[in-house]
Amino acid sequence: MGKEKIAGIVVLSFLFLLFGGAPVCSKEPIHIGVSGPLTGTYAEYGQNWKKAMDLGLEWINAAGGVKGRPIELIYTDTKSDPKESAAVAHKYTTDKRIVSTIGDFTSTACMAAQPIYDRAGMVQLSPTASHPKFAPGSIWSFGIIGTQAGEGPFMARYAVKQLGKKRIAVLYINNDWGIVTKDFFIKAAKEMGAEILAVEAFFEADKDFTGVLTKLRGVKPELLYIPAMYNEMSLIAKQKEKLGWMDVLVMGPGSLYSPKLLEIGGASVNGLYTSAVFFPKDPRPEVQKFVKGFEDKYKASPNMFAAIAYDGINIMTEVLRKAGTDRKAIRDELAKTKDFPGVTGKITFTEQRDVLKDYRHLVIKNQEFTLFETK
Amino acid sequence: MLILGQLINGLTQGSIYALIAIGFVIIFGTMNLVTFAHGEVYMIGAFMGYFALSVLHLPWYVALMMGMGAAWVLGFFIEKVAFRPLRAAGHMPPLLITIGLSIILKDLAMLLFGAENRPVPSIYGETIEIAGFQVSLLQLLILGIAGLLIIVLRILIQGTKIGRAMRATAQDHEAAYAMGVNVNRVFSVSFCLASCLGGAAGVMVGIYYNAVYPVMGDTAGLKGFAACIFGGLTSIPGAILGGLIIGVVENLTVQFIASGYRDIVAFLVLVIVLVFRPQGILGKKIRAV
Repeated sequence: MGKEKIAGIVVLSFLFLLFGGAPVCSKEPIHIGVSGPLTGTYAEYGQNWKKAMDLGLEWINAAGGVKGRPIELIYTDTKSDPKESAAVAHKYTTDKRIVSTIGDFTSTACMAAQPIYDRAGMVQLSPTASHPKFAPGSIWSFGIIGTQAGEGPFMARYAVKQLGKKRIAVLYINNDWGIVTKDFFIKAAKEMGAEILAVEAFFEADKDFTGVLTKLRGVKPELLYIPAMYNEMSLIAKQKEKLGWMDVLVMGPGSLYSPKLLEIGGASVNGLYTSAVFFPKDPRPEVQKFVKGFEDKYKASPNMFAAIAYDGINIMTEVLRKAGTDRKAIRDELAKTKDFPGVTGKITFTEQRDVLKDYRHLVIKNQEFTLFETK
Repeated sequence: MLILGQLINGLTQGSIYALIAIGFVIIFGTMNLVTFAHGEVYMIGAFMGYFALSVLHLPWYVALMMGMGAAWVLGFFIEKVAFRPLRAAGHMPPLLITIGLSIILKDLAMLLFGAENRPVPSIYGETIEIAGFQVSLLQLLILGIAGLLIIVLRILIQGTKIGRAMRATAQDHEAAYAMGVNVNRVFSVSFCLASCLGGAAGVMVGIYYNAVYPVMGDTAGLKGFAACIFGGLTSIPGAILGGLIIGVVENLTVQFIASGYRDIVAFLVLVIVLVFRPQGILGKKIRAV
């Protein structure tokens, strides 16, 4: 073997160590626990999380991780079952390697694990828990999806100020979420001078809305606000169309923002107003980078759940860069987060450790979600 | 005006309940048995209608035929499996088997089609004005089909040979058997006929509410059964009246009280009627033996 060859190999392996292998083999990784539904009823959302976080992680570690140390995620499947999320909280808090946790998915599962993280003193950052009592429940709990305390007034402004509709009727789904959602909306709309003409409830299994729509039609509202999931909304829109009730605008919160609404609702959801914290066609560069990266890697568009999880892992990394790996220091640094440029809008924690989100005004045109140009 | 609108909503919904209720009446009338798989027959009919309309893009009347056909075939097998082998075993075993069948069909549908709602394309979205208020053409179509099916059923029962055999079997199946009526065939045809009406109701609900999903038979079966008891168990006009009354009461409750009370009031009316008329509105008084 010639000297040049040996020198070449030495240089090559040196380069390899420096760029390719360096973060993996030179330094100890930093571990973050993820507690979420990889199987079960909410599996679809958990899988979206995992895809987005894996993508974020790939970019973070390619850029050298945190001060040369790569980040490693430890996933544990909880099915978002409160019993399992509590068990996982025990497992993570007693594992010395793990510095903080991202998860769980539902508010209920998060709140079941909350006291355990609270006692052990470890950050629990939930990407999706939106219950207004979750984040204020412990100084260790953080929520980044925003709560109805933010979305309610936003939608009320959209209806009363931007669209100029003052005669409003509300049809809401009768569960925890629906009640909170309509309460915040009604309160804000009244303060803006709107008149709430009627408030009607329906139940989760209801499929027949013709009766209640006929009744609401009688009060002649200009706008119908419907806190519901996309499934019910698409039925309501179709049945409303069948009753021939056209002289009213329909609006609902971001829970309606799903391709399924367009698929089931068809032409009947045209003209429907809603909002979203994440909109793939948003021109901001961080959004476009994420959307392109996600589409290249998975051959599918990211949804809101993927986007919010991606923000979760990025915020956590940012905090680790500043605070190191001490659990208490992480919490204090996280609480200070201000104007973090997430793909779901700027993230600034309130004193209650939740976020007042930036929402996008959306309207459905030709069976597609489009940005509404606000005046 | 609004009350007229709610009345039409109620009659449309009620006519669907009525079709399901007639199924219970035919089965109970001829065989003296109750089936708990009727809601699932209705669900299978609805799914068949969905496939015909959304996947194969066939016109609605073909979808209706296919839904009825699928329900007919399913009814034929249910009768063969759950009722025929156990005819001598009394009331309970067939009842339990139909509960089992209901669970199997529901879970099978869940596995095959998924738990989510299926989009059914809208037809006859237009509304017309009658006497100053809006009526949807679809509602009129559903009322019309239900009415037509009931008339056809009446002709079948009153005017054909098999209808006569059914009536004879309903009165006394041993005597009918002694007179040379093929009772097995009568049972089978009755069950299929009942299922067929359930299937038609399923297709129409799919088109009307745009909602086709595996557990849709639960409430529909219960409401249909309630309408059948309301009307007096063995009376077809009673079942029709029962279905229409439940439908109208539900919608008027939505109008005057609140949406959440619709089932409460509908069943409350049912209980009150049964307290004062245990035989139902058009049922014959049962003589104490």
